[in-house]
Amino acid sequence: MSAPLSRCQTDIAPAVNRRGGGRSLARKTADSVGHAVADVLQNEELAARPGLLQRLDPRVKLLTLLLFAVTASLVHAVWTLVALIGLTMILAAASLVGVASFARKVWLSAGLFALLVALPSALDVFTPGPAAVTLGPVSLTEPGLMGVATLVTRVVAAAGFALLVVWTMRWTDLLRALSSLRLPDVVVATLAMTQKQILTLLRTVEQIHLARESRTLTRGTTRENRAWVTERMAFVMRKSMKTADDVYDAMLARGFTGAMPSLVTLRMRPRDWVWAAASVALCATVIAADRVVGP
Amino acid sequence: MDIVAMHIPDGYLGPQTYAILWLVMVPIWVIAARKVERTLKTKQIPLLALGAAFSFVIMMFNVPVLGGSTGHAVGATLIAIVLGPWPAVIAVSIALVIQAGLFGDGGITAIAANCFNMAVVIPFVGYYLYRLIGGDEPSSSRRAVGAGVAAYVAIVAGAIVAGFEFGIQPYLAHTAGGQALYAPYKLSVAVPAMALEHLLFFGWVEAIVTMGVVAVLARTEPELLQMKPAARPLRWLWAGLGALILLTPIGVLAPGTAWGEWSSEQISARIGYVPTGFETLGGLWRAAMPDYATPGVSDTSLGYLIAAVVGTVLVVGVTWGVGALLARRPGDDARPASPAAGPPAARAG
Repeated sequence: MSAPLSRCQTDIAPAVNRRGGGRSLARKTADSVGHAVADVLQNEELAARPGLLQRLDPRVKLLTLLLFAVTASLVHAVWTLVALIGLTMILAAASLVGVASFARKVWLSAGLFALLVALPSALDVFTPGPAAVTLGPVSLTEPGLMGVATLVTRVVAAAGFALLVVWTMRWTDLLRALSSLRLPDVVVATLAMTQKQILTLLRTVEQIHLARESRTLTRGTTRENRAWVTERMAFVMRKSMKTADDVYDAMLARGFTGAMPSLVTLRMRPRDWVWAAASVALCATVIAADRVVGP
Repeated sequence: MDIVAMHIPDGYLGPQTYAILWLVMVPIWVIAARKVERTLKTKQIPLLALGAAFSFVIMMFNVPVLGGSTGHAVGATLIAIVLGPWPAVIAVSIALVIQAGLFGDGGITAIAANCFNMAVVIPFVGYYLYRLIGGDEPSSSRRAVGAGVAAYVAIVAGAIVAGFEFGIQPYLAHTAGGQALYAPYKLSVAVPAMALEHLLFFGWVEAIVTMGVVAVLARTEPELLQMKPAARPLRWLWAGLGALILLTPIGVLAPGTAWGEWSSEQISARIGYVPTGFETLGGLWRAAMPDYATPGVSDTSLGYLIAAVVGTVLVVGVTWGVGALLARRPGDDARPASPAAGPPAARAG
């Protein structure tokens, strides 16, 4: 797969500021589509690195990271959650995915959002209790701030484990793991095909918007832009349904029976068993410790 | 990838909530898969895959709303209108799983909750409301208006359900000192907050997108909108409405008044005085059933139930009336859809 179009054409497309302000609507959408495709490519590259998690059997990796995410939802003490965040950082470092970018992603996208959403809940009108910080007529209470800290650390810990799944597991490995975990073939086949078609449709959407960007001199009114966007959405829907027909015809022509045979047989190795046992023991220890130190 | 305001990340819902929603979603997925298999046969894989891919991609479009602001649509009502509600359950669920698994958008433990809100509530409410307003042989304008109204109501319904899931967390899990362990806002704040942002902004984005796309499809590809003349097409809507009405006494669980909906006495108790405008305008309208209480009925739960029935009858009656009026408008494009051209999915209601 080649690089996303919006990245390639950044220098030649009439990018911004035709009438002041920021990016045009078409550029904004093309950029976000380009970023989405770039994210997929980056995830595949990270998942191919020879790190700790990448070397594990995909089934073990999926189940153990899910177990850690569930553990993060079961514990209550902020310090336990901070320890789990530390574990995600160690796993990110051991998996060679870049600790700084990992931390930036979970703290900025998940942690900061959780903080902004939850902070007002610490006000005394929402959570009564002894005042910790007084701001004129209102105050932030101690239980309110502890609640905010619990939510933010929980969200960051859980987002970290979820991101480790995304960053250390190739999409094909995830499908293979789901298939061997007895998910029906039809679901696995649909997931596999959806991922491919998403990338195809994203390229179409990106090209549509870049074509508009390169052919328009003014921004147009909100009404015109809205009509243009809905027309393009209808086009993408028509294209989707037509492609479904074409793909179905191709499947019939090739004698597709619904079975999804895999060329790779997953086999548990000693390190997979060790990792699985260590993960279960660690989660049990964390939950038990939390019952002692938790609120 | 910040797409829509309804994706619940991990950490906001406690295990009691997300585990129950997993238990609810698994049979729904099984039923949906069986229904889809029966109606779509072997064609289901590419059709659902493309439906899911479209569901994902539609969220990437920036939709102009007002004054330069843009938003993103979920598109679940649109998918339900084209594919039918059960295929939409599968298609939107797959899109949400891929968002979580491939892009890290939305939580892993919260996948079932997100699927319930966006792949079940929105498609079913949207689809059956669209059919209620649109009728079996709708004109293109009635079809488009019906799709817009259905999409608006459906996404607000989804947001209210998500707000309910957030709002019950402080009741389910907190410390002895009152510290919240998951989403911190109670029902009286979480439900109005989620409802308001969708009533005022995201609902309009959804309505604009769904109405616009359905209008274009009605003009260019009417077979995609052809509906299956089901024997009892609205039975699920009535069953859902009945269940929701029976659940209304849950509102009694929430103590106090919804945030921002205070009476003059409550305002006075909070800030020490009643603003002049509030005092002057507050008494202009006397509701027939204030605070959902039924005159002459002392039992609060029973009062809620009666209020829910009265409100439902009024809303359905007005919607039906508006739909009937729109259907009689002269000059509508009443071109019949081609019965042979559409894929089986278009009739898979």
